[in-house]
Amino acid sequence: MRRDTLLWATPLSATPRRVTPPSATPHRATPLRAPLLPATHLRGTLTRALLLAALLLGVCPLAAPPVARATPSARLGASFTPERLGGRTTLGFEFQILAPAGQVPPALTAVDLSYPNYLGFALSGLGLATCTGETLQAFGPSRCPANSVMGYGHALAEIALGPAIVTETAPITILRALDQQGHFALLFYAAGNVPLDAHVTFPGLLYPAPAPYGGSVDISVPLVPSIPGAPDVAVVRLRATIGPRGVAYYEQADGTTLAYRPPGMLLPRGCPPGGFPFAAEFHFLDGSQTSARTEVPCPPQGRPVRRGAHLL
Amino acid sequence: MIHKLKRWQTPVAILATLLGMAHAAHALRATDTAHLHYVSASGSLLYEEGGATGTLPGSMRVNLNVGATLSGSFTIYTRGGSIKGHGEATPHGSGVYESFAGSLTATGGSGRYAHAHGRASLYGTFNRDTYALTIQTTGTLAY
Repeated sequence: MRRDTLLWATPLSATPRRVTPPSATPHRATPLRAPLLPATHLRGTLTRALLLAALLLGVCPLAAPPVARATPSARLGASFTPERLGGRTTLGFEFQILAPAGQVPPALTAVDLSYPNYLGFALSGLGLATCTGETLQAFGPSRCPANSVMGYGHALAEIALGPAIVTETAPITILRALDQQGHFALLFYAAGNVPLDAHVTFPGLLYPAPAPYGGSVDISVPLVPSIPGAPDVAVVRLRATIGPRGVAYYEQADGTTLAYRPPGMLLPRGCPPGGFPFAAEFHFLDGSQTSARTEVPCPPQGRPVRRGAHLL
Repeated sequence: MIHKLKRWQTPVAILATLLGMAHAAHALRATDTAHLHYVSASGSLLYEEGGATGTLPGSMRVNLNVGATLSGSFTIYTRGGSIKGHGEATPHGSGVYESFAGSLTATGGSGRYAHAHGRASLYGTFNRDTYALTIQTTGTLAY
């Protein structure tokens, strides 16, 4: 029965359209029963571009790179689109790691992102199927079930090449994975091409968190080597959404495959005093850590709006 | 604030205690299954109700917080009265159907079960698509 989904789901078109399931997204009724990758996995090669950049910059990889010595700071942003109390929404979050000018922060190794209490994460209608780290690493998200996609985003990384800093942007896909020891599990897949050709899969697990937070997504970020002798790639910015925006799901009805848009996270009917709180802790390779907080302000009553605390 | 007991209140308190023990003299080994359907939701809070079958047949209403863990309160309505309590469970599995396991505690009620108390094991499945909930409980109820 799809009563709830029909109530909340917005079809991709005015009427559900008959579609042929994309060949790149085989819809397996039975989830692939393989565990998450035991650790973060990385598939990558140095591209000619990175080597060429190193050569043009006259980089000696063993020369002291501009890696930040001071503990980096961080900024956190979050948004609900739309923000209508009691309604469905797409959660947007972003963070930025700040290092002194001209320096690259140490490699990010973990992010613990706490989200507000009573945010209907598990009632979002997202992640009705699961993907595995092995599938992602071997084939990318195109071979994962469409109904395992939970969101998209972009990451910005910095690579220190001698005195110069090279940046790279990688699109991110967020997918549902098999629960791990009772914890709701996510997989993040980042695919960068230039200058570093790296495809990275890393897990995120949901844990309970003390009030005013309802839970915490603990994300393990893998180390991505750059060129020999140079520091690992440093993630300095990430912007992503979890929700129905840009996400298409499929269901079988009377032998027909129908495309629909999943409902999205359910906001509570009341807004906590001071707004919806978010917090994040960032852990770095050199053992340092920093944190950031933000709130999504309560919406004006009666008007659905896009609200958030944005970095950019 | 400290109340001084009047002379007649002490026997009353003892009597009440004895009555409480008398209530607890009934113990019932109960196994029940409830099939609940979605009524309303606010954020991660779900309100569900449905029929219960087994040792204590009737109906059940549940307020459930579907967060990193499942927790909530319940009321079972039977012919002899209602039983209230709360429970917590850990989800397992993935996809459309989440299974869960945990425990519940009966803390009181009305009618025959006004003094109900006890603990029970809790198992079930949750349909993340329709929010339909199936709950199985096995435990001993004292009342």
